[in-house]
Amino acid sequence: MAAIKIRALPARLVRMVEDLRRKEDRLNLLLSLVIGALVGLVVVAFILLTGRLTALMYPAGAAGWRRIVVPTAGALVTGYLLFKYFPLARGSGIPQTRAALFIHDGRISLRSAVGKFVCTAISLASGIPLGREGPAVYIGSGIASVIARRLGLSRAQIRSLIPVGGAAALAAAFNTPIAAVLFSLEEIIGDLHAPVLGSIVLASAAAWMVLHLILGDSPLFHVPEFHLVSPGELGAYVVLGIVGGLSSVAFVKILLWLRARFAKMPRASLWIQPVAGGLTVGILGFFVPQVLGVGYDQVERVLNGDVILKVVVTLAVLKILATSVAYASGNAGGVFGPSLFIGSMVGATVGSVAHLLFPAGTAGPGSYALVGMGTAFAGIIRTPLTSVIMMFEVTRDYTIIVPLIISNLIAYYISQKLQKEPIYMALARQDGLHLPTRSSRTYPEVLLVSSATREVPESLSPLMKISDAAERVKDSALESWPVADDLGLVGMVRTRHIAHALDQGRVDMTIERLMQIARRSESDNSVDLPHVHNDQPLSRALARMRDNGHNVLPVVSRANARIMLGIVTLPDILKTFGVESVDELDYRDHPDL
Amino acid sequence: MKTPLFQPAAPLPTATVSDFIATLAVILAAIVGLILFDTALAKVDAVERKTYAAREFAAGERSLTDGKIEEAIEHLRTASTLDGENTAYGVALGQAILADGRPREAEQLLLPLLERYERNGSANLALARVMAKEGRLKEAKSYYHSSIYGVWPTGENGRTAARFELIDLLARANAKEELLAELLPIQDDSTNDLAQRKRIAHLFVVAGSPARAVVIFREILRRDSKDADAFVGLAEAALSLGDFGTARTDLLAAQKLMPEDSTTLKPLMALTDSVISLDPTQNGLSLPEQVRRSRNLAQMTLTSVRKCLRMQAPQVAVALDSATLLLVSGAAVGQAQSVEQNLSLAEQLWGLQRSRCAPDHANGALALIHGRIAQ
Repeated sequence: MAAIKIRALPARLVRMVEDLRRKEDRLNLLLSLVIGALVGLVVVAFILLTGRLTALMYPAGAAGWRRIVVPTAGALVTGYLLFKYFPLARGSGIPQTRAALFIHDGRISLRSAVGKFVCTAISLASGIPLGREGPAVYIGSGIASVIARRLGLSRAQIRSLIPVGGAAALAAAFNTPIAAVLFSLEEIIGDLHAPVLGSIVLASAAAWMVLHLILGDSPLFHVPEFHLVSPGELGAYVVLGIVGGLSSVAFVKILLWLRARFAKMPRASLWIQPVAGGLTVGILGFFVPQVLGVGYDQVERVLNGDVILKVVVTLAVLKILATSVAYASGNAGGVFGPSLFIGSMVGATVGSVAHLLFPAGTAGPGSYALVGMGTAFAGIIRTPLTSVIMMFEVTRDYTIIVPLIISNLIAYYISQKLQKEPIYMALARQDGLHLPTRSSRTYPEVLLVSSATREVPESLSPLMKISDAAERVKDSALESWPVADDLGLVGMVRTRHIAHALDQGRVDMTIERLMQIARRSESDNSVDLPHVHNDQPLSRALARMRDNGHNVLPVVSRANARIMLGIVTLPDILKTFGVESVDELDYRDHPDL
Repeated sequence: MKTPLFQPAAPLPTATVSDFIATLAVILAAIVGLILFDTALAKVDAVERKTYAAREFAAGERSLTDGKIEEAIEHLRTASTLDGENTAYGVALGQAILADGRPREAEQLLLPLLERYERNGSANLALARVMAKEGRLKEAKSYYHSSIYGVWPTGENGRTAARFELIDLLARANAKEELLAELLPIQDDSTNDLAQRKRIAHLFVVAGSPARAVVIFREILRRDSKDADAFVGLAEAALSLGDFGTARTDLLAAQKLMPEDSTTLKPLMALTDSVISLDPTQNGLSLPEQVRRSRNLAQMTLTSVRKCLRMQAPQVAVALDSATLLLVSGAAVGQAQSVEQNLSLAEQLWGLQRSRCAPDHANGALALIHGRIAQ
């Protein structure tokens, strides 16, 4: 018995696997969970290794010279590695992920993903003030891409797994699973209605669970309760939105300008360019150590009210400068984390001033730092929905929503006005990549059924005999006719079915009976009442025609599907799209219809 | 148009089944390996962070002891950031910030800590101190209670300290009933801690329950009949009970045991002598002496009330003038009636004083005599 089982097992396994590969939904479900867990684990390893490496490079009580030497040396090492072995691992990773999705059929090589991991870990640990989130997204998407290709999936499937890996990585890197889902849709795919939503959610949840299993239920920031002292305080948040928006624009413009300057340098200098960033960071860090690294501990201190106005202003300015130089010179790391740092410092600055002017009517600067983080994110990354949800996830406090939305939208608006191209788009363009924008991927000029609807022809009665019906339709080019009784539309009958019945001599048969036979016949898999509505896109009408095999569809009222407003035909649809088939008859030339 | 009868099957991916299975197996192996690797790394990381945080905490405590509060705050903040789960760090940071004179900031820091560890005794105690500092007595009392009935993993000393801090707060606020309510549960505690027993007994006197204090002091004296503090305590209790003679006897006994002590005994003895010489209800007094003393008491009470109310409510001065007239005229028919009249007037004036004026230590003797009359 056991022997039979052992012999039978591989065959059964093969069948199971083949079955799984055939059923795309199940395979996607499984892969989303597996990719989510694996990416979550890799990102956790990335965070921990970076932390350990940082502790090694900056031991407690280390001498000040380290703050100059370590970032410079780190930039030199990563600069060489990036130049020699991992050219695609430079910078953030978000534009590269989008390029993989939209240009390279979802292909990210294992080498690039590993390179991103190694170079970013060295870069961040040495104190380069860039973020880990963008690189994590690239690593996550890379893992998804490698797995999908190894499993022999189709190009479409590989592409669909790129945002899945990205969302999982962000959920683990930033501990915000919902924001990760939104970021994936809003920024990576650029479509909030993307059909891969379910897979993205699953992967994000799996990665987040892994993060919690290993690192515990500790939020990224321990933040105090958010306070809105008075409704008048919203005015201060408007000011924060304006200042945050302007700071965001300044940051993006400085970064892009510097990057363009570095890009003009000789290609041979590519490996040494990051050193310029490392050295700048080192010199700044020597005098102001808080400039080094992503600075989340400093952010937490500010969020908890440890704010000295002079310090937060200095840090905001220096971080903008340090991050811009470090990124522009080609170090590995993203702008996601620095955005939050800059935002918190700008927020704390505005909050401190507001609290100085109106101590009784405003909350402490910590609350403003919190909102400032979201504001800068909306202004720099330009994903307003993600930023609101992300800050909500960080604080888990509903009261933050209103001031956050106000500040975010103002910053977003200012940023959009003063810096036309979002940062990731502009970075990709500097690299010669023309990625689709959100607006270029939406089609406002969608053609609706109403644009091809024609008047209702005289309907056939269900009780009408075949002979009478044949007489009625004989000169018509319509392939299907509407059948209606006193209460309205009953269905559609094909002209060829009427002709066939007539040929068979069943002249007394009623149209109703003919429709019943047609429905039962295997060749007619139509639904009871195939129809479209005036406000639906023509593509929907085409799909419905394909599904039902009718070239003519009734256009019915949404209030009552039996009230016919007109009909839409395949030639009319093609004509509306500007495709006129020579084989098709123009019905409008036949007034008898 | 050809109607498709069914959706064509998705094309099979190009990898073979064995490739597919092998890839899945590698992924699973990688997941298992990474779980082990991450868990080990996370443990190392946690240990190192905790060690570093503990070092910073110790440095912070040292700085606090040296009076370098700013420096202490820096160290404690680092400790708290590194090991946010350790409430002791957060609490110590809150206390240091409070000591630096920033109660609002300390409150903002401690509130989220309490949200996470609602029943933590030390966090509640720290916030109670913040509230007490800000003069928010109601909230302070609430946090003290949460602290007393909260969790104290480090031992019961914190709980006791919290209770005594609350008791001190209540005593300062003259909230006698609440004070008594706090003292009753601990009157039998710390039977071996003599200092604590004496403190509790003294607080019973403050809370207006001197009889309970007497029981405790007598018990102490049963153990050690030469405990001068217990005699002093007994004297205080006797004064509160209106038993001025006994109070004097107890004070004399205490004086015998510690003749060199003048700081505690002298003022108490003076007070006792004062009330004995003023008390119109003392046994064995002649009627004229009773009249004199009662008149004197009414006069002293009137002076005290006048001093307090003149500033607060000038319109009361008219009523006080008529009371003066009454005293000057000596309108009573007989001496006994005069005593009654004087005492009644003094009592009413004292009632007025208590309802309208803040307690004044200078009126200690008057308060004790009126206390006795009320008994």
